[in-house]
Amino acid sequence: MIPLSSYLILGAILFAISIAGIFINRKNVIVLLMCIELMLLAVNINFIAFSHFLGDTAGQVFVFFILTVAAAEAAIGLAILVVVFRNRQTINVSELNTMKG
Amino acid sequence: MMTLEMLNLSIAMPEMFLLALACTVLVVDVYLKDSQRNVTYMLSQLGLIITLILISQQTPQNNEWTRELAFNGLFVNDLLATVLKYAVVLLVAIVFVYSRRYLQDRNIFKGEFYVLGLFGLLGMMVMISANHFLSMYLGLELLSLSLYAMVAFDRENPNAAEAAMKYFVLGAIASGMLLYGMSMVYGMTGSLNIVEVAVALDQMEGDNIVLIFGLVFMVIGISFKLGAVPFHMWIPDVYHGSPTTVTSYIATAPKVAGFAMVIRLLAESMGSFQADWQGMMIILAVLSMAVGNVIAIAQTNLKRLLAYSTISHVGFIMLGLLAGNQEGYSAAMFYTLTYTLMSLGGFGIIILLTRKGFEADNINDLKGLNQRSPWFAFIMLIVVFSMAGVPPTVGFWAKLAVLKAVVNIDMLWLALVAVFFSIIGIFYYLRIIKLMYFDDAEDKSEINCTRDMQIALSANGLSVLMLGLYPAALMSICIAAFS
Amino acid sequence: MTFFEVVFYAFSTLMVVAALGVVSARNPVHSVLFLVLTFFAGSAIWLLLEAEFLAITLVLVYVGAVMVLFLFVVMMLDINITRMREGLMRYAPFGIAIAILLIVQMIMVVGPENFGLQAFAAPELHGADYSNTKELGRVLYTDYVYAFELASVILLVAIVAAITLTMRRRPNTRHQIPGEQMKVMKQDRLRIVNMKSETIDSEDK
Repeated sequence: MIPLSSYLILGAILFAISIAGIFINRKNVIVLLMCIELMLLAVNINFIAFSHFLGDTAGQVFVFFILTVAAAEAAIGLAILVVVFRNRQTINVSELNTMKG
Repeated sequence: MMTLEMLNLSIAMPEMFLLALACTVLVVDVYLKDSQRNVTYMLSQLGLIITLILISQQTPQNNEWTRELAFNGLFVNDLLATVLKYAVVLLVAIVFVYSRRYLQDRNIFKGEFYVLGLFGLLGMMVMISANHFLSMYLGLELLSLSLYAMVAFDRENPNAAEAAMKYFVLGAIASGMLLYGMSMVYGMTGSLNIVEVAVALDQMEGDNIVLIFGLVFMVIGISFKLGAVPFHMWIPDVYHGSPTTVTSYIATAPKVAGFAMVIRLLAESMGSFQADWQGMMIILAVLSMAVGNVIAIAQTNLKRLLAYSTISHVGFIMLGLLAGNQEGYSAAMFYTLTYTLMSLGGFGIIILLTRKGFEADNINDLKGLNQRSPWFAFIMLIVVFSMAGVPPTVGFWAKLAVLKAVVNIDMLWLALVAVFFSIIGIFYYLRIIKLMYFDDAEDKSEINCTRDMQIALSANGLSVLMLGLYPAALMSICIAAFS
Repeated sequence: MTFFEVVFYAFSTLMVVAALGVVSARNPVHSVLFLVLTFFAGSAIWLLLEAEFLAITLVLVYVGAVMVLFLFVVMMLDINITRMREGLMRYAPFGIAIAILLIVQMIMVVGPENFGLQAFAAPELHGADYSNTKELGRVLYTDYVYAFELASVILLVAIVAAITLTMRRRPNTRHQIPGEQMKVMKQDRLRIVNMKSETIDSEDK
């Protein structure tokens, strides 16, 4: 049988990739948004794996709500992205530095 | 079989009313012409007053406070929740008073500001009453999503859009961290209910590396949301970039909700790991006080200056929390409630000085305020003294209570560090006072402002002074909330 | 290797490779497509964990709606890809170092030592008559009705926010008013004029 640790390691690897992705793609907002989705997927794998091994549905219910919130979050994130793009014709973060101090 | 009575809906009355209010405002606003937006405003304010009344109806019989649960244990009401909810509703109502003329001058007096503000308030109340990781997470997201939209709400302003983007990305990462930590705690305890988690953790013996691992992620997520150094990067940009009314919203009520989040997640559920999170919090608190106070000195933008001042105050709130006992928690609660009041007054003054096409967010815009309006210069004087911690304002008592809590857990060095950094902080607060009283006004235009805002701002400033002269009543409530 | 193990290792490898693709692809459109692949592999993993309902939801709602929204935005905004990617190589070594450090530390905590089969025995698999959807539905509308309501409020906020931020009323947009069109009478539009018929020699003048 596949032990719980295998699933958690898979979650951990995804989580680490998403953190590294945030560092690497710090200039590109749209890929940053995708890295956040990846991070939530890692969390979801953890919750579902625990839920399965504990025999408790609470974890799956939590994932259900994380998916809902993540969808809402993606909608707002992309809306903000569109506003930024309309204002400055770029979504390059290195050019988003008008405020200093 | 489950019945409706088992949900125990009556104790969630304020939340349900607020939700109905927000939906009503949303629908009514659609049918209004641009010239009738005042109806939206009035309806929101009326609703908030009724919400305040409903919250004060929550007192139990014979004044014996117990933890009352509703919605199958996802919702809890106790004295702490009632006091904090009262505070957040009041703060949001005052922010709305301050907001009206500012929004009208900039042609962004739209119903969405009030609708999103009310939904955000609902999110805060859900966080304050959370007894389950799920309700805490959903309340937090409801608040955050409303805030992201409010920051970007002035669509023509590139700074606001940029601030919203940064806030969104960092906020979403913080939520991810928090969730990862929660998943670890869930795996080890088999429950997501805060009380059940606490019971399960009490029964575990020895150090559990998995739980400490989860705890680290939760603390990182929480510090992002509170804005403690080194997770503070978003605060200056968001405070600076957002429309000032939105800044005054972000700088006040969500801090109270953040305090509730720390209490529910760290103190109530992870209480048996207090020694572990105390260590992390000491680092966060010292860094926040240092960075906040030192960088604030170099600021010329008033909103950024207040942002760094917020960071240093978050450090002080953490000092109280890390004490980890009743005294520390009540001191931190007192600090949070009074700090939000001062912060509201500070942003109120900035909003007062703005007019059409002029933001008044440069520190030099305060020059000679005493010549232009002695009364509001006095109000600002009280607020600034209170932030610096000068007696007899309330800021002094708040700092004193927190420092006492730290000294009583034998961390004298930490108290000395805190005193040292708040002395550095006095420098930039004094600069504001010098500008107001000893410099000549460059801009001698009349301060025009509506009567309701004048009254609210005066009451706001005077309450900082009154709480300083008579701090005992609020202090005893804060102590009762944790006994 | 049992069948379960084959499925697990195949899909988890696919998932990790696709996730690496998301963070390293040069073109944002490719990143989105890699993300779709990641989610697809993820849903296969969830099926192994008997979370059938969520696995289907992930494919239908997430891949079907959210990722398509991402694709829409990526293609709608005219993004300068070469400018976007200039930092990639510069930060890559740093990112890889962080990832390796994190993975090593995390595996030390969540590895077989703490979560092996001794600590968490594999649960008995459910029979064919078990319905995951029914199980979730039962708690969702009873125990978690509060969370369910809150989620609906969050979706409402997302709608309000997205419309507030992106809807533009263009003042000079032309549009039809059907009611006005229906009210038009013949005499409003049609004018009968009397005029002399033209003759050919008028052209010569």
